[in-house]
Amino acid sequence: MNNAAVELTNVIKRYGNIVAVNDMNLTIKQGEIFGLLGPNGSGKSTTMKMLLGLVQPDTGFIRVQGLDVQRDAVAVKRLVGYAAESSHLYEFLTGIEFLDFIGDIYKMEAEEKKTRINEYIKALQLEGREGDMISSYSSGMKQKIALIAAFLHKPKLLVLDEPLAGLDPRSARIIKDFLQQLKLQGVTTIMSTHILEIAQAVCDRIGIIYQGKILALGTMNELQKMAMLPSSGLEDIFLKLTGTDDVKAMVEELLK
Amino acid sequence: MNWKTVRHLIGVDRKSSRLLRGRNIIRYNVKRNAFYNYLFYVIVTAAGLAIGFFAGYLYNLSSADATLQTLINEYYPSFLIGLPTIVLVFIFIFTILQQIQRSGVRFSRQVPYWLPITWEEHTMASILAELLGFPLLTIALISSAIIVFSLYVGQILLAVGSVLAMLGAAFMASATTEIFRILQVRFIGSVYKSTGRAAVWVRFIGSLIFFVVFYVIYFSITTGTGSLFFLQSVASAQNVIWFVPFVWLGLTLSSLTLSLWLQGVVFFVASVLFISSLYLLATALNKRYGLYEPPAIKISTGTYVPKTGFIGKFGFSSIQSALIRKDLKAFTRRRELMFTFIMPIVFMIFPIMSSLNASPSQGPPGTLFWFVYTTLFPASVMAVSLGSFITGEEGQSVWMIYISPISAEDFIKSKYAFIVFFTLAILPITTAVGVIVFHPSIRATIVLFLESVFTTFAIGAISLSNGIKGADFNEVPRPRMMRPLWGIVNFLMCTGVACAILLPFIPYALSLFIGGSANPFMDLYTATAISGVIAAISSVVFYKVALGNAKELLTKAEL
Repeated sequence: MNNAAVELTNVIKRYGNIVAVNDMNLTIKQGEIFGLLGPNGSGKSTTMKMLLGLVQPDTGFIRVQGLDVQRDAVAVKRLVGYAAESSHLYEFLTGIEFLDFIGDIYKMEAEEKKTRINEYIKALQLEGREGDMISSYSSGMKQKIALIAAFLHKPKLLVLDEPLAGLDPRSARIIKDFLQQLKLQGVTTIMSTHILEIAQAVCDRIGIIYQGKILALGTMNELQKMAMLPSSGLEDIFLKLTGTDDVKAMVEELLK
Repeated sequence: MNWKTVRHLIGVDRKSSRLLRGRNIIRYNVKRNAFYNYLFYVIVTAAGLAIGFFAGYLYNLSSADATLQTLINEYYPSFLIGLPTIVLVFIFIFTILQQIQRSGVRFSRQVPYWLPITWEEHTMASILAELLGFPLLTIALISSAIIVFSLYVGQILLAVGSVLAMLGAAFMASATTEIFRILQVRFIGSVYKSTGRAAVWVRFIGSLIFFVVFYVIYFSITTGTGSLFFLQSVASAQNVIWFVPFVWLGLTLSSLTLSLWLQGVVFFVASVLFISSLYLLATALNKRYGLYEPPAIKISTGTYVPKTGFIGKFGFSSIQSALIRKDLKAFTRRRELMFTFIMPIVFMIFPIMSSLNASPSQGPPGTLFWFVYTTLFPASVMAVSLGSFITGEEGQSVWMIYISPISAEDFIKSKYAFIVFFTLAILPITTAVGVIVFHPSIRATIVLFLESVFTTFAIGAISLSNGIKGADFNEVPRPRMMRPLWGIVNFLMCTGVACAILLPFIPYALSLFIGGSANPFMDLYTATAISGVIAAISSVVFYKVALGNAKELLTKAEL
């Protein structure tokens, strides 16, 4: 039986002359927490959008939970929970109304919807504000609502773009621990983040993407070996592999 | 005040507005020729000059008719004296409507708040930016036309004075709107705070009442005999309400025309002081409330209990019901969308005000025309508006639609149901108003009601399909929801199909207006049935087109 949650095979995506994703091959296993790292404009967001069928690849094919994304995008979306970096929520709805809307979109039973919404609201300390219009929420509160919306229908695959951005330390810790628990239940997570400490602490495997290609892929130990930096953290590895390790010189230039 | 900063701020505002008008026309990554910034003004000024010369030519031609020239010579100065006040009223209405349509949530002008810009500069830029575009184009058109025509009539000095007064009046109107904008944010915030959970309905009903009152006043001035009276009497009305500062510019002109020099100077100085005080007041209010954050609207309290699916009882799935409920909240809570529900009321007010102003001798054809207007038009306009905007209103949040397991079928069914349901909901009301005001026959009422239902289905489907194809998801500075080109395409298509649906009734219209000489060759109910078939075919065809457009929208996910 195929154990892959996500498979990208020879995927190419171009925007005009720019190659956003360049012949990418990637397999992510069931129950894995996978970190997708890369500098701005490296092709991370395009890759994530293609996983949901929001962007069609020019060539190659993508399978999510065994389903062909291009052929059956709606069925794939039903299995996926997605939280974007800057979630555009319906700001004229209250937090509760928005989550109720999401529950209905994913065809949740009323009782289950009620229980889960109330649990998440309590866990992420949104009690007392859940009846307010989202337009009055802080960015951290909006991020919490976006994350609850992604988790609410118990998806088999989570695609999270900067999931902890704007969260207070307590909520960030809850989300990190929650992802580990979901992993034990077989839920796969693909996470994109620029906070490399989070990726190092949470992810089982990390893929570093640069100019549309997977530059390095593996566990933390494998990446250290690949970069020939055995005792270094992810930040040093990332900077070395993506060729942006001239930071010191740039800082000195700015200080002049 | 640093005028360079003011100029930059105006540029920011105008560019953000222009971006809404089409990124393909104006590319901001390329240094643009400054000539294009002024192109519209040049064209409009040229048009004004042409109008002025043409009017002057006609004036010269009428030299044989002494009575006509005397009339023109008598009334033209009054017209020039009244112009600043007319322009003031026009620009005030325009800028107020502009403000109301701005997005309440995201507002590009807030960006400069944390930059080292003074409130004086910010307020000045805000007032002037509001004037650029349509208000200034109108002034350019009128000014160039009256200056040329005044050369023929011998009123060039008064015309120049009128142009200067119009510019002052425009500033006055825009400054007043700025004050209104700041106060309404502060006032509405207090209302929300005190009304608590009812705030949403207070806002919705308050907006409805505001617009109804606004249009009743507007139509009572401009319809029927009222409009002529309005234009003719502005100059004399100014003298009656001399104590109202907004007419002091006009009074300056009239005083100087009558050689009342001291009075003219007094009104001129008073006008300058009034304009300055408006600006200072707007600045002071901006300083006090410019960064005011309205309190959060709390809609629900206590433990969350899921709603039982009332809409589901009509055969809609949970996804479709959720989309319909979400759209209902959008149209009743978002200020820029409430206008859709207000438009049918406006269309009812217009014929009612016209019938009140019309002569009592108006015959049955005229009455029937207004009944058709009252019944058919509001429903059609609502179907067009809802259909055009219901996709674009998603704004940047269309992202939620893209990432959710919503099929094109779910999307179209829910949107179309929303359009049809709410349009049909207002139809009994508009018909009842039409029956009460115009007393048509029962037969005419039934037929027209059915025709309104037919056009609702057809026009709703057309507008929905075009609304998806021409959707504009930009939200700043105000959500446009549909690209103008597609708006025009939609208008033409809806008009064409509506005419096709009403085609079987042409013999009746002819027999009614010509009299007994034109004999309808078709039974009225047969005509209604044929009309229904045309509407049904149009509805099915455009529903399928809309479905195709929705599939394309959901797979491209262009954001």
